[in-house]
Amino acid sequence: MSKASVRHEGTCNGVRRRDLIRVGGLTAFGLGLGDYLRHQRLWAANDNTVQKAKSCILVWLDGGPSHLETFDPKPEAPLEVRGPLGSISTAIPGIRFSECLPKTAAAMNQIAIVRSMTSPLGEHNFGTHYLMTGYKPTPVLEYPAYGAVVSQLHRGSGVLPCNIAVPTFNVGGSRLTGGGYLPAATRPFSVGGDPSKADFAVRDLDFFQGLDLTRLDRRRQFVAALNAFEEGKTQDQNHTSDPDLERAYQLIASEDAKRAFQLSEEPAAVRKEYGGKTIGQSCLLARRLVERGVPFVTVNDRGWDTHEKLQVRLKDGFAGAKVDVGLVPSLDHALSALITDLEQRAMLDETLVVVMGEFGRTPKLNTRGGRDHWPRVFSVLMAGGGVAGGQVIGSSDAVGESPLDRPVTPSDLAATIYTLLGIDPKEEFHTDDGRPVRISPYEAEPVSELIA
Amino acid sequence: MFIWWMLFVAVLPVESNADVDFDHDVMPVLTKAGCNTGACHGAAIGRGGLKLSLYGSDPVADYRAIALELKGRRVNLLEPEQSLVLMKPTEAMEHGGGFRLDPESEAAARLRQWIQAGAERHNLELRPKFSRLEVSPSSVVIRHPDQRLNLKAIAHFSDGSVRNVTRQTVFIAEDPVAVEIDSKTAEVRVLRGGRHVVIARYLSQVKPVEIILPFRGSSVKVSTDEQKQVFDQKHFIDRAVNDLLATLGIPISGDAGDDVFLRRVTLNLTGRLPDAEMRQAFLADDESKRRIDLVDRLLNSDEFTEYWTLQLAKLLRIHAQPGNEIGTQRYHEWLQRQIAENVGYDVIAKKILTAKGDTHQVGPANFYRTVSGAREQAEFTSELFMGTRLRCANCHDHPLDQWTQDDYHGLASVFAKIRSGQNVEASDNGQVIHPKTGKNARPRIPGVKFVDASDQPLTTFANWLVADQNPYFARAIVNRLWKSMMGRGLVEPADDLRATNPATHPKLLKKLADDFVEHGFDLRHTLRLIAASSAYARSSDSISGNESDVRYYSHRIGQLMEPEVLADAISDVLGISEPYGDKPLGTRAVMLVNPQTESATLDALGRCARKDSCEVPVSLTGTGGLTLKLHLFNGPILNQRIAGGNGRLSRLIAEGKTNEAIVEEYYRVALSRPVTEIEQRFWSQQLKETNGERRSLLEDFVWSLLTCKEFVTNH
Repeated sequence: MSKASVRHEGTCNGVRRRDLIRVGGLTAFGLGLGDYLRHQRLWAANDNTVQKAKSCILVWLDGGPSHLETFDPKPEAPLEVRGPLGSISTAIPGIRFSECLPKTAAAMNQIAIVRSMTSPLGEHNFGTHYLMTGYKPTPVLEYPAYGAVVSQLHRGSGVLPCNIAVPTFNVGGSRLTGGGYLPAATRPFSVGGDPSKADFAVRDLDFFQGLDLTRLDRRRQFVAALNAFEEGKTQDQNHTSDPDLERAYQLIASEDAKRAFQLSEEPAAVRKEYGGKTIGQSCLLARRLVERGVPFVTVNDRGWDTHEKLQVRLKDGFAGAKVDVGLVPSLDHALSALITDLEQRAMLDETLVVVMGEFGRTPKLNTRGGRDHWPRVFSVLMAGGGVAGGQVIGSSDAVGESPLDRPVTPSDLAATIYTLLGIDPKEEFHTDDGRPVRISPYEAEPVSELIA
Repeated sequence: MFIWWMLFVAVLPVESNADVDFDHDVMPVLTKAGCNTGACHGAAIGRGGLKLSLYGSDPVADYRAIALELKGRRVNLLEPEQSLVLMKPTEAMEHGGGFRLDPESEAAARLRQWIQAGAERHNLELRPKFSRLEVSPSSVVIRHPDQRLNLKAIAHFSDGSVRNVTRQTVFIAEDPVAVEIDSKTAEVRVLRGGRHVVIARYLSQVKPVEIILPFRGSSVKVSTDEQKQVFDQKHFIDRAVNDLLATLGIPISGDAGDDVFLRRVTLNLTGRLPDAEMRQAFLADDESKRRIDLVDRLLNSDEFTEYWTLQLAKLLRIHAQPGNEIGTQRYHEWLQRQIAENVGYDVIAKKILTAKGDTHQVGPANFYRTVSGAREQAEFTSELFMGTRLRCANCHDHPLDQWTQDDYHGLASVFAKIRSGQNVEASDNGQVIHPKTGKNARPRIPGVKFVDASDQPLTTFANWLVADQNPYFARAIVNRLWKSMMGRGLVEPADDLRATNPATHPKLLKKLADDFVEHGFDLRHTLRLIAASSAYARSSDSISGNESDVRYYSHRIGQLMEPEVLADAISDVLGISEPYGDKPLGTRAVMLVNPQTESATLDALGRCARKDSCEVPVSLTGTGGLTLKLHLFNGPILNQRIAGGNGRLSRLIAEGKTNEAIVEEYYRVALSRPVTEIEQRFWSQQLKETNGERRSLLEDFVWSLLTCKEFVTNH
């Protein structure tokens, strides 16, 4: 069974144009030629019609953020539902946020909130799979997360990876590879380290002592030859049987690409605006990356699994803090700075910002002053990238327990995100063994109100 | 008067329906309509004010919820049609869950009859009890995609009576793209070739159905490469594996050849690459028995003990708690002794479970310091020794397995009586609260029986676990041994054994487990058995028609070397040891007791910290891919020692060896085979020095050898 497999031209995956079509053996690449060409047309067609997002920054609040302490407060509800935090008005009359989100509230004109997200999956790994892929998990197949789908279809230029996670893609209990059934090269590249630290740098981008590009080039060609021998092929130094090695080489070889990771190039005032926490500087790095053509960046903020002490975890940051440095104020800094910065650079229209986690939290406080997992209703924030801002879609009931109207499933959300990114959610990929799989599930409906 | 007459008329015709019972007639309707799923009323706090047990596991509570709460609203005896339980799912009234039940359907009629007959729950003591679900066929091979298959579900009752419950049974295909099921008629269409699983659910029971459709257009070509007579062709492993391949119509790749076999089995059994002496002895041996002789030599080596101690240490999640490095050391030493002395796995497990005393003295007692909390201990123990995930049954009965909350909290209660500080000892006051009753949970052997607190629950549990007849213990470990040798478990994930996640080869798994028990729970015996099969010795090269097979063993599934094994192999090839924390130089990575031992190399390769299960390799999820490749290019992992002055390369150069001789040696050490003529020609071309850069050319050669696929995999 020899089949045509496909490489992307000169791209995030670091493969050159002449490798575009190669027959036989490359089963690591799941797409058939037909799919590839169809997607190319599809992408091109969409470019001409509606202004769509060119890139996406997903701010992932890992662990499941409380909808009641962020974008869906219930100031009228009894204390055990209302929780310890107050609420404030936003730039749009009648829409209220948590008291810890004043800067984001001021940017409400750019923002849309879906308050009626609903899912049946209240376990971290399952919920993360559902929210990050639009598919409920099954033992048969792991589905690709958004970034991998974008990476698979992208035809950008440059050598930066198409799918980058800041600082790491360690999400939802870390069972998710992010690539699903798509080739391993579409998985997110984790930059590692902590962008908020002064010595932050992506590891291993600079030459080891005594090495230079000529030698790395030779090494990569030797590996290609060895792999070709192993696969029983005649020696062919252009044979790239190790796409990750190829991508690594291209990245190391490009001074320009490496500068994308230099946060120190940013003026101090800008760095300060994003806030000193990891999430803030990660968002800043994300902006630098999309500015240089990276189509998908996941900013992974961990620690939202707040089963106890909401006041401390979400607001104060630590007991006796003088300034609020908890999860929500840190998010407020990062998110508002990101939206403002993108807007000032005229990038907001082409950059979709999505903020979410794997589920919400229980309407009633538990005995430890925390909230447990609650997938039945929760909120997602979207901004930029063709999203109609200044609105709330759907609502939850009086205590934030169930959707009151316009329920939106993670599958619907996936279809919406793909549509905004100019990808038809009804299109199909084929897995290695020829199974057709739609980009979003059959029943997924884009939320049309969200699309400007 | 008039009203009474109406009622009389309404009731009269259904007198014969007095037999309609809540448990046996109404519950299946609710399950089939999806009312009690986790997304709807089966959620932990219910939905829209109505709470049902998940998939109907608690009929008593469900009866109370439907028939007694909101009396006269959910079931309206006077006007059955006005019952919420009918109006909501048929959407005669607004329903958050939408339209679930056709009012004209047989299921709706049954609900109606039940209400008309008085909405009763019969006294089950007096009535036959539902005992078992039988689904036929339970396993079937379909010959053609157009062939239709009708599934049939039969419920068996305690009095021996049976009832066709096909219409009340929910059938779910694990892969809806491959298998289509008509929810009304249970007619199945198979759309894709392969082995598929359908789960049938009736009342609280679930049963798997296996449906096989051979791949299209393939005809079985059995390998002609059967020259290796060493191995018994009637090996039961090969019978099982080849039978399924033949049924599926997947052709089988040939034998891997002696060199590959030597490398493969040495890696699998000792975590090392074979050295020159081993290869010599192997090839000098009589061809008819050289492989099995090799397997026996390896099984009896110290290296086997070291490597398999690591394997079990990963399973046992042995890692040092702060301040307990001594205990961890003792635990590891103890484990190593058990492996060295070939102690039966049943004895090992029992010693671990019943260990008491000072953890700084008694190695296995550290088992109780691995995780903290009785519930966590129950989850860990069930995953480790039973290969099952009891943890779902913490908050509700396991929806896809037999486990109940009683089982979960009962097993936790068994462990609650153990106090684990530096001293592990029995205590009288440890308790676990059962969330349903709010009272102390009763100690329980999961799925079997309650044990009185006075009856030494822990010993009872340990005895039950390691008994010959235990359905989980042997299967869980042989599945893991198989996975370690073959690259994939017969059941995946290996810690999720349950009826609804059947093995790819169910009979083979059972036979392996039975054989393991018959041979005294001897780990070496089962490893030897697997190593002696033709399936194990198969080439990793695919042939036309089996390229996409990754689960039926038509060709070898390549395994990435584990981080510890790869690190050691790199050191061996370079001839320079890698330092690990404050351990003496020369300590091998597989011998490290503590997975927290400082090592940037092992971190980069993605070692398991053993704080949670090591079932999912870190390299697959975390930092693999691009990150690792950047590190190989520019990190110290290879570069530091390749450029170093006292390794293999420096020695060979100093000895005045030619490039040819150097290439030859590296091929033998790293790839465990001679270099081919074509390869040698390629390298002599590439390594031709131009301006005195011989050393850097050779360094680049060594680097690429340690990075290429053939080196980093066990293939």
